[in-house]
Amino acid sequence: MEEKTLIQFKNIVMSFEDQLVLKNINLDIKENEFVTLLGPSGCGKTTLLRILGGFLEPTEGEVLFDGADISNLPPYKRELNTVFQKYALFPHMNVHDNIAFGLKIKKMSKDVIEQKVMKMLKLIGLDGYENKNVTLLSGGQQQRVAIARALVNEPKVLLLDEPLGALDLKLRKEMQYELKRIQQEVGITFIFVTHDQEEALTMSDKIVIMKGGEIQQIGSPQEIYNTPVNRFVADFVGESNIIPGRMLDDYLVRFDDQNFDCLDYGFAKNEAVDVVIRPEDLVIVPTEEGVLTGTVDSVLFKGMHYETVVETVPGTSVTVHMRIIKNNEVISADGKEKISANDFFVDIEDVAALDDKEVVARADAQAWNPETDEYISLNSIDYSVKEEEGEYPVVFSTSNGTMIQKMIYVVNQPIVKNAKANEAVMAFNFFKTADELMESQALDTDLKLWANAQGWKLSDEEQTVDMYADYDFDPENVKEGQSYRVTFSTTGRELKVRTVNYVEEGTEVGLKLGKNDIHVMKRM
Amino acid sequence: MKKNKRIIGKLSMLLAVIFFYLPIVYVVVFSFNSSKSLTVLKGFSLQWYEKMFRDTQMMQSLSTTIVVAIIATVVSTIAGTLAAVGLSKSKKIVRRLVSQINDFPIMNPEIVTAIGLMLLFITFGIERGLLTMILAHIAFCTPYVILSVMPKIRSLDPNLADAAMDLGATPSQALLKVIVPQISPGIFSGALIAFTMSFDDFIISYFVTGRGVKNLSIMVYTMSKRVNPSINAVSTLVVGIITVVLIVINVLPVISEKLRKRKVKAVEDTEK
Amino acid sequence: MKRFSQLAFPYIVWSILLLLLPMIIVFFYSITTGGNGIISFEFTLKNYIKFFTDPDFVIVLWRSVKIAVKTTIICILLAYPVAYFIAGNNDRVRNMLVFAITIPTWINMLVRTYAWIGILTEGGIVSKFLKMLGFAHTELLYTESAVLIGMVYNFLPFMILQIVSSLCKMDRSLLDASSDLGANGVQTFLRVTFPLSLPGVVSGISLVFLPAVSSFFIPKLLGGGQYFLIGNVIENQFITVGEWNFGSAISVIMAILMMLSMYCVRRLESKNSQESD
Repeated sequence: MEEKTLIQFKNIVMSFEDQLVLKNINLDIKENEFVTLLGPSGCGKTTLLRILGGFLEPTEGEVLFDGADISNLPPYKRELNTVFQKYALFPHMNVHDNIAFGLKIKKMSKDVIEQKVMKMLKLIGLDGYENKNVTLLSGGQQQRVAIARALVNEPKVLLLDEPLGALDLKLRKEMQYELKRIQQEVGITFIFVTHDQEEALTMSDKIVIMKGGEIQQIGSPQEIYNTPVNRFVADFVGESNIIPGRMLDDYLVRFDDQNFDCLDYGFAKNEAVDVVIRPEDLVIVPTEEGVLTGTVDSVLFKGMHYETVVETVPGTSVTVHMRIIKNNEVISADGKEKISANDFFVDIEDVAALDDKEVVARADAQAWNPETDEYISLNSIDYSVKEEEGEYPVVFSTSNGTMIQKMIYVVNQPIVKNAKANEAVMAFNFFKTADELMESQALDTDLKLWANAQGWKLSDEEQTVDMYADYDFDPENVKEGQSYRVTFSTTGRELKVRTVNYVEEGTEVGLKLGKNDIHVMKRM
Repeated sequence: MKKNKRIIGKLSMLLAVIFFYLPIVYVVVFSFNSSKSLTVLKGFSLQWYEKMFRDTQMMQSLSTTIVVAIIATVVSTIAGTLAAVGLSKSKKIVRRLVSQINDFPIMNPEIVTAIGLMLLFITFGIERGLLTMILAHIAFCTPYVILSVMPKIRSLDPNLADAAMDLGATPSQALLKVIVPQISPGIFSGALIAFTMSFDDFIISYFVTGRGVKNLSIMVYTMSKRVNPSINAVSTLVVGIITVVLIVINVLPVISEKLRKRKVKAVEDTEK
Repeated sequence: MKRFSQLAFPYIVWSILLLLLPMIIVFFYSITTGGNGIISFEFTLKNYIKFFTDPDFVIVLWRSVKIAVKTTIICILLAYPVAYFIAGNNDRVRNMLVFAITIPTWINMLVRTYAWIGILTEGGIVSKFLKMLGFAHTELLYTESAVLIGMVYNFLPFMILQIVSSLCKMDRSLLDASSDLGANGVQTFLRVTFPLSLPGVVSGISLVFLPAVSSFFIPKLLGGGQYFLIGNVIENQFITVGEWNFGSAISVIMAILMMLSMYCVRRLESKNSQESD
């Protein structure tokens, strides 16, 4: 049965001062639908609802209700009612009077009001509460009263502005069912605003996904979940693996150097696309049976299932040497000052950018009083480096003349590039004492700092890529004069897989997926 | 309908402002009157200011008012702040008891507080004069300071002082470097209330004073029996003082903010 | 943490000495006989009996209550539209208007009250204005009206500020909700805004009624010698007559009277908010 269209938003634009909150919204809502406006905070969903309620006037565009323009109608003349975010129950009235408010305004006779209020209290399951003070009710009860107060006026549409936001998880779940039941019972249109994707999927007939004042996608929960139109929708609704790819032809997509059959078509040849694979569509199989292979990276227990992360493409890595040197302190003649520093490497391209602060940091230079352990400031840093490979001395000294000399090695450090992953990484050899290694409180971070390890996107040098450090020495037990290898790597392609069984970390596995598990989306 | 309401509102606002400012304007205008009349302006003259400055009693009362107000403000601000901090960490019973006692001068008619203090000084044989006036002013100003500092303390993270001490601050450092800066708006407005309360006070001062010590209010009260335009002159002086205080209070934060910004900028520049 | 609680200790002692003790002393004086010493005294209810058996004092008390009630009612009627207007503005304008109302209260009450003598006296601005309107009797100074004007003038700002703060505290979404449920502007005001601003009106009443009942310099300055209120009686007992015990008894009576009246107003208000229409 085709329901008739009840509400139409036509080219709605809304701006506050010079900020554009809604950009040309067009949306039709049918009778008896449960419509959810879903999006992150600040996406304009509440603004759209307030325009419909009559609390805001759109800057441009019109709102049609039953075919008539209501844009200029004040809220009290509109045939719709609202359940407000924090309920907005009148604190000076009891439950009965709150619900009866709209009816009293309409000057209905006392016995009619009585009858309707009682019916509503039954509907929301609060009969017997009519004389209770609303401020003493629990959140869930206040919520129900707010719904009853709106519904008693028999509106054609009920607007709900994040009504479950203030409730705890369990109550929220209960109220989701309750709301759906009430909607089916009274049989009117509900327009529901939320930022909770699960809430939207559970309750709605139709979901409208918004972002930055624009509608991203309109569809049933199934449509939204299975065929999101872009990366934002796929990411916002449910868990997903999103992989950049290329559409070779209709029904054929390529990502991570492999071709995959799919159900999608209508893209330009070789168009850059995003591919979404839901974690529950991937199945872990023995390596030889898998379409993709990889190593299990981590396993998280999620109650009903495990979230297993499988690395199918290794990251980019660079290995450097850490040389353990003997203690490098210099003690002043009077024994009142100690000073220490390290030799360090610097790339020829970075020499120009080297300044005092940077030299102190890279050499880890410091001076202190051995008796009190108080730091003493370094008052002179003496060095001269040229943009040429070689060794250059640097001298750090305190105002009392305690000094230490170290070397700056200017080298032309090769960069490890990985075109496939669109990444490049770089790191330097470094010198440390066994003590410094032992004193480190966050060794991974310190290693990255000492080696000046950095990773970036080849397509955009400003965009850094996170790296992790890998080493096989025991930081409590290193030998002076020895060199140790430290490898810095980026994470490669990692896919989230929902599994019922536990798979040991580090296991080589295969991943199976069919062509209907792959969904191709336009790049945003 | 809506427009109409705004017009009624604007009109009543305007009338209220005229009502509130009429006497002030009146006093200032007639202080420059060349005749003794309180109703007819004859011409401009400064004779009442001359008389005022020559009147030692008037000048004495002005200085008494200012001295008392400053001492009462400083003492009651410090005492009130310390008490508020202390009370916020005290047992509930103590807190409730003290806040009950605190409410006496706020909830009771001022005249009852006044005779209470008067009888107290008499009972303990303290000779009434400047000292008793100062003590009384501190007594009725401090509750207002506490009242304005308390909400600020209540809105503080209760772990703030613990955090400061955990990081090595002594209790007094925690108080001065962490708590006081956080509640300074409350302290400031408390001090302001204390100052104006003390500066304006008549009833309590009137009962607890003695030996001819008078503040401005008492002087106006005793002189008002005869027509004396010098009162207009001294009133204008008071209006002037309060205006200056108000301007300083409202402009000072703006200036200090500007200075601070300039300082930050200077530091940044030297670092470059 | 415990150490901080010790900071309150000096103040606790101080407040007991200078705030609590005086009240006890007033009460003590009120139930003892003369001979203003602390060693020789005798308990008596004579002071209270004297007050209630002398019709003159009871009349003065009644007159004080009457004028305080009048002042309070006039203040509510004048303050509400002004406060409603102030609260309806945006933050910046609202703060400016509140500031404009506050400034005069910072100038000495005596000074401002004194100014009214010139304004209200025969030949002053007000009498000229009334003559222009055709009134025959234009002498206001030293009448009850003058006292009333002086009291309203002194206490009206408190009422305005209290109502403004209660109107501002109100959740805006309640007005949206009322409008959403079909109430127009007037209905919303009568059914939501006004009932919710009542706590402000009540605290306004306590800030107007209390000082109005006990006021003594306003009647003295603007009412002349002939207009006597209970505050003037107390002043006389202490300053001119020297009957401290009797003066204390009157003070106690007045304090109790006020506590009772404020309690009644509070009860009325909370009852009202419970069973609104």
